[in-house]
Amino acid sequence: MDAFNMGLVAAMGALATVAGASEDIDSDIGSQSNPNSQVQLAAQVGNPHRIYNKAIAGEPPSNALWCTTAAIMAYVMITAYGMPLIFAAAAGAALAALFDGVFSVSAYIGRSASQARFNQWIYLDILRYTTPSIMAHVWITSFCIVTVSIIQVYLLTPHHPFPIPIIALIWGLTVGAIGSSVGDIHYGGEREFQWRLFGQGLNTMLSGQIVRKAEAGLRNSIDNAWFCAKFGGPATGMGFGLTVFLDNWRTAVFDPVTQSFAAIATGIFFVIVMILYNFYCELSARRKYGPYPGYKGDVAA
Amino acid sequence: MTVGGGATSAPAKFEPQKLRIYGIVGSLVGIYLAVVLNQATGTTVFSFIAAIGALFGVVMGANAVRRVCSYGIGTGVPSIGMLALGMGIVAALFGLNLGAQFGMDWLGPIIALIYSLIFGYVVGLIANRVMGFNIPVMEEGLTDLSGAGTLAIIAWSVAISGSLSYSSIVADVLNTGFIAIIFICGGLAILHPFNANLGPDEKQDRTLVNGVMVGGVAIVATGVCALLTQGMILGLLQIVVGFVIWYYFFVWYFRLAKRDAAAVVGTGLLPPSAL
Repeated sequence: MDAFNMGLVAAMGALATVAGASEDIDSDIGSQSNPNSQVQLAAQVGNPHRIYNKAIAGEPPSNALWCTTAAIMAYVMITAYGMPLIFAAAAGAALAALFDGVFSVSAYIGRSASQARFNQWIYLDILRYTTPSIMAHVWITSFCIVTVSIIQVYLLTPHHPFPIPIIALIWGLTVGAIGSSVGDIHYGGEREFQWRLFGQGLNTMLSGQIVRKAEAGLRNSIDNAWFCAKFGGPATGMGFGLTVFLDNWRTAVFDPVTQSFAAIATGIFFVIVMILYNFYCELSARRKYGPYPGYKGDVAA
Repeated sequence: MTVGGGATSAPAKFEPQKLRIYGIVGSLVGIYLAVVLNQATGTTVFSFIAAIGALFGVVMGANAVRRVCSYGIGTGVPSIGMLALGMGIVAALFGLNLGAQFGMDWLGPIIALIYSLIFGYVVGLIANRVMGFNIPVMEEGLTDLSGAGTLAIIAWSVAISGSLSYSSIVADVLNTGFIAIIFICGGLAILHPFNANLGPDEKQDRTLVNGVMVGGVAIVATGVCALLTQGMILGLLQIVVGFVIWYYFFVWYFRLAKRDAAAVVGTGLLPPSAL
């Protein structure tokens, strides 16, 4: 273990935390991924809305696209034109943000136009002020992910053997998957449906009955960003940051070749600790807020 | 998203058989024209023709996604797009490699295409018979999708490397990692059109125009890759071609969306019926 490598691993963890947070907020502004089904349903059950409908293939593939786009640009700039690493990452992220703008706009107008019979209008002002916010968050996400990939390939020893675009593709898929499973719950569960009994889940009867009106006026997607930035985004960031940091930490402390057993054992130790901690969280939540109001005792199978 | 679904009958102005023929022929012509012109002139100037050829395959794939997914597969749209490119990548490498083994690089795309069509049909059979999807057009749809994915991958690989030889595609596309962007951008070009237009009032022309538009974006991406493999001028040429295609079809797409939407308003409250 040397101090330089450990510093790089810490930087990667920090970058991944920021990437996770911005990824989640980006998908919440656009109502992408899981909560998107309710936004899509809302108009169909008679609730047209002014919420962005950014349906781009779920979060893992779409984030893989942004990160890979940024990575090819950065890779080309570094290899062919000798651009400094950070500038190259910034240039790549800018291209990724533009791509994202194209896809977001086409998804919003396409989905809204396909709901014409439910009287879902296309609001151009939503396009104008929400799309740049989405693009800005995508810029941050892809910049961080590409920087992590660049660190892995050029700085961290031993250098990663894969080319940057492939690593960025994998990290993009990962950050999308983590954002989809961690942060979206907060948006979908707490923001789209604000009044629910503890532990109720989403009643089928309530499908599509999302909250469309705000404290003043109609709710828009920027309000959702404000809400999700308080918990969903940071939680996603922590999830992704810990994934990147802990995974690289064990191979930075223990040599992956000579001390592989210790590295694997540390990984298993982390997994066990996480499982126990999750178990504790669940128990603690039930103790404080439970029992579930609808719970009528165990039913024999 | 499943509930969103398209109309189950998927009314279509353009017959799938026609689109299939246009897709296969257009892509192959694009690939071969680019390679032949490149070889004849001893340059890689004409690589962008292969990139344009890929758009035909993309349209065929987007139409296949539309047909298969109209049977209520909503959340499966992204998966089926990724599946298409997954099958495509295997078939493309198999075909190009086999062509190289025979010493006939030009045969690669044909072998890849035949292999991918059979591969897609078998996957479709498995999906229907073993996994029990029971979608009547599944075999046909996956055959189309697999072919479209293969054509897109080969065409965009040629656009980056400038030649059909297996070794140069491995060096320029696989070792550099550019295959990642072809995979994901090609996948999005095939799956995004229907995904972005999902809903009961989805129209075929709007979906397919969206496919070409996303294909234009993908050409911009291959142009960026070409900046490294073919130099600045040719890379920029491809980027400009991609941008022009994107712009033209984006404007077209927006026009179709305005045609189909309930209303396009600058700003405003909810529709009076919903307040």
